[in-house]
Amino acid sequence: MVKNEFIQNIINDDNIGYWELYNNTSNWSTAFIKKLGYSVEDVEINLDFFLNNLIHPEYRDEFRDNFFNLVRHYLDFKQLISIKCKDGSYKKFVCLTNDNLQVNSVKNAKVIIFNEKKFKSSEKLKKDTFYYRESAEMTSTGSWYVDFKKQKSYWDFQTKKILEYPEDYIPSLKESTKYYTPEYLQLASNYFFSCATTGTPFDTEIKMLTAKGREVWTRAIGKAVYNDNNEIIGVRGVFQDIDDKKSKVETLQKTSEIIASQNSRLFNFAHIVSHNLRSHTSNLSLIVQLIDSVETVEEKLEMIDNIKDISESLNSTIEHLNEVVTIQTKTNDIKVEVNFNSIINSVKKAINRIIRESNCIINTNFTQMQSIPYIPAYMESILLNLITNAIKYKHPDRDPIINIKTYIDANKKYLEVNDNGSGIDLDKFGNKLFGMYKTFHYNKDAVGIGLFITKNQIESLNGQIFVNSTVNKGTTFKIQF
Amino acid sequence: MNSPIVELACIIDDDSVYVNLVKKIIETKKLCENLIIFNDGKQSIDYFEALLQNLDVDNIPEIIFLDLNMPVMDGWEFLERFTKIKNRFGKVITLYVVSSSINPLDINRAKALSSVEDYLIKPVNINELENIFKTGT
Repeated sequence: MVKNEFIQNIINDDNIGYWELYNNTSNWSTAFIKKLGYSVEDVEINLDFFLNNLIHPEYRDEFRDNFFNLVRHYLDFKQLISIKCKDGSYKKFVCLTNDNLQVNSVKNAKVIIFNEKKFKSSEKLKKDTFYYRESAEMTSTGSWYVDFKKQKSYWDFQTKKILEYPEDYIPSLKESTKYYTPEYLQLASNYFFSCATTGTPFDTEIKMLTAKGREVWTRAIGKAVYNDNNEIIGVRGVFQDIDDKKSKVETLQKTSEIIASQNSRLFNFAHIVSHNLRSHTSNLSLIVQLIDSVETVEEKLEMIDNIKDISESLNSTIEHLNEVVTIQTKTNDIKVEVNFNSIINSVKKAINRIIRESNCIINTNFTQMQSIPYIPAYMESILLNLITNAIKYKHPDRDPIINIKTYIDANKKYLEVNDNGSGIDLDKFGNKLFGMYKTFHYNKDAVGIGLFITKNQIESLNGQIFVNSTVNKGTTFKIQF
Repeated sequence: MNSPIVELACIIDDDSVYVNLVKKIIETKKLCENLIIFNDGKQSIDYFEALLQNLDVDNIPEIIFLDLNMPVMDGWEFLERFTKIKNRFGKVITLYVVSSSINPLDINRAKALSSVEDYLIKPVNINELENIFKTGT
């Protein structure tokens, strides 16, 4: 082995790969051989072996020319080459000769230095890492990667922060069920597997679960990672914490729902004032005109009777108006625990006569939910309205049977009142059913105020009422509290 | 006093007080010979559809006063069905919408219909009513 002083002088770092030429003999530094993954036994240290087995064909001719120019004419060179490693991959190097090293050369001694080419300087990498961390933190966006080959999952620091896992936590696909809230688990896994199998990218909003069991809204984006053969080898993406935004949207939505329901109540209110009050006043003014136009005192007196009728109707309209206004103010009343059985009993007592006369049977089942916090007067009014309606609109051919039950479904509380009455054609009257002064039957005592009040009472306490009906079969009202 | 020009008029309205008052005006002023009254759209459209089966000119009113807000079948639905059969009576039928609604949406919607002659806002004026009977047909 040749190891001349010159080399010793300029290359005192053992990590540098070089090719030394002295009197037509070659020597490669151990560092150079190791960098490529070979051991000394694997290689033959000569130009032919280098050209035939190590250098990428693309660079072969250029290197050979440069090499001979160096050896024969002492011409220095600098070129980029690609060398095959033991594992079959290629590494890029910049080759430099004496002159480029800016040291005085000793005659007959030549050296080619192989500097591995890194794509980014570590300085730049540091800067990029800084920018990446900053933007990840500022946008609350964490990234993740699932590697199918190694069967491993990776989360960056921000993903761990969003999901409240410690820095050293190692995520795994097996545990992924606990990263999502139960209601979004299926959706999340659908998106993931469709991306993993067919490569469909996704961008969606899902509710996740942190290590501390807290729910957090995230925007989840993912796409498939392919290898050179176009096979999916992993899925990578980001989670962005959008909890703040989402809860603001939800609050906004709730507020707008409240405003919409108040608006519709106001609209009804305006309707009573403009239409129903107006119809009475217009009748009054018509009477005044008539009194003026009739000749005899008898006829004039006759008109006075009509005024009595109008005054009565005017009174009842104003009473209805008052009921609507009361709903808006009563919502501030304190809710107390209302027992369904005792409310039903007092309703039955109040309408004892019509229940008896109609042979009505009322079945109740409150085993699933015996009581709820509510305004007692509302509950009484709601049940009274629904029961009297069921009796009022009973089927002409049979005695009324009313089934009332309470239950809890998906954390929501329900009251259901079902009858075997004549039913309502919902296609025709569905949108008017809960409107004011809407009646759909020829019954004399149909006033059209009951369901309107019922709906308003329920909605003022943030509940909802639904109806299902089949003509000639019966009607079911379902109240969600 | 001259005998009335209008033979038969028709009132479709669920407000019994109003109906009685108009009836009284018509009687006192002798505005028409006969008057038929319906309490809602359903009863009246049933009447008109039955008339088509047995066309008797004497039973076809020359003027209709139609209310909008009524139970069972409101004025709008009546108008929809009446418009379809209106030209099959062989007689001019003039229809007035008479409502206490002062909502411009209602007024414009009614006036836009070809079968509606005009929209009268309650309370109706006695002189106006007289004019309709004397010249309106």
